[in-house]
Amino acid sequence: MKCIFKNRKISSVVAVVPKEEYRFDDEYPVFKLTEDKAKRFKKMMSLDRHRIAPPGVCASDLCQHGLQHLLDEGILKKEEIGALIFVSQTPDYTMPPTSNVIQGKLGLGREMICLDINQGCSGFLLGLMQAFLLLDIAALPKVVLLNGDTCSKQTDRCNRISYPLTGDAGSVTIIERCEAENPIYVDVKNDGSRHQAIMIPAGRYRMPSTSETLKLKEVEEGVVQNLEHVHMDGAAIFSFTMEDVPPQIDEILEFSGDTRDSIEHFLFHQPNPFILKQMADKMRIPLTKLPNNIVSLYGNCSSVTIPLNITHNCSEQLLREKSRVCMSGFGVGLSWISMVMDLGPLAASKILEY
Amino acid sequence: MDKIKLYEQLAEILDVEQVKAEDVLGDFEAWDSLAILSVLALADSKYGVAIKAEEIRSVVSALDLASLIEAKKK
Repeated sequence: MKCIFKNRKISSVVAVVPKEEYRFDDEYPVFKLTEDKAKRFKKMMSLDRHRIAPPGVCASDLCQHGLQHLLDEGILKKEEIGALIFVSQTPDYTMPPTSNVIQGKLGLGREMICLDINQGCSGFLLGLMQAFLLLDIAALPKVVLLNGDTCSKQTDRCNRISYPLTGDAGSVTIIERCEAENPIYVDVKNDGSRHQAIMIPAGRYRMPSTSETLKLKEVEEGVVQNLEHVHMDGAAIFSFTMEDVPPQIDEILEFSGDTRDSIEHFLFHQPNPFILKQMADKMRIPLTKLPNNIVSLYGNCSSVTIPLNITHNCSEQLLREKSRVCMSGFGVGLSWISMVMDLGPLAASKILEY
Repeated sequence: MDKIKLYEQLAEILDVEQVKAEDVLGDFEAWDSLAILSVLALADSKYGVAIKAEEIRSVVSALDLASLIEAKKK
């Protein structure tokens, strides 16, 4: 489905990563890989380093740190926040919603909306859509979108398939009204019939946590996981990414009246550098316009990859001027959302450490 | 389709000197999820063919892969 939002803008984006950084070259012995295989894996996936939150640090802590920074800097005032959205698959609790927990810790006012959303790869764009909608009814002028995930806690440290590509991060995005029409074009697609392609089978109510669901089992030679870890059907996800996402990019560009040339940056979710290179080749977009460097530097941190992409690759420009961008988030659900908009100039665009 | 060329490309993915038509892919030490991903990418970028997850799982030999790509190209 397609829709257009008007008179709305993103005014600030701040990403937060844990200060703990780990390098593949130091880690690979725990993956039980031979040196040859490690080299092949490293080259194919351009593995270098990633950020991992220590035990006890939650996605909400990273988000709260970023939000506190914006308040301290005076870029945002508590009395301006009409809604707080927290998008995550690693919330603090099953209940209450983590957005309420953060609201309480920061001492925000009562006349506001708190909303948790369970989404991963497309979660930044789904959260933005929700923020654009809430601006219509919120009593106060700004909506704060928090994206945060500690994906490293959903896999085993020795799992060489998922762990080296994983990262933890949070982000804070401020959304507000603007005088200019600033049309934002959106295309949303979902296919729940393929929901098993990326899932954590156990640990909630369909299959509650037991000693059985925590038992590690070998899924490939030397690779162990339990039913409370993330399960990915790599081949199915590859097919999805290559077959379903590129046509959506064609659709959104036609919808917004853009071309590959009129878009300056294609800021995509970052599953891994390899698949992004394949996609870019297929769509005939050069990698200079479609960055694929985030996983090599921070790891795949679910819905925070697009905010990291913005802040790592475009901060300097976006603090100064606006840019025509196409963003796309695709994965768990399966869900895929693409958006074309003018982004910037931003009041804040940076990466913080926690 | 040039099957010899495909077997050369497979040999490169599997990091071996040579791959023959009758070779069982599962017997190669390097045939893992990463190699499967490489084969899907190869089929897409070099042969313009989208292989589905369930299709690659039914492939046993190098010749099976060549036949699958050939059938899908039609």
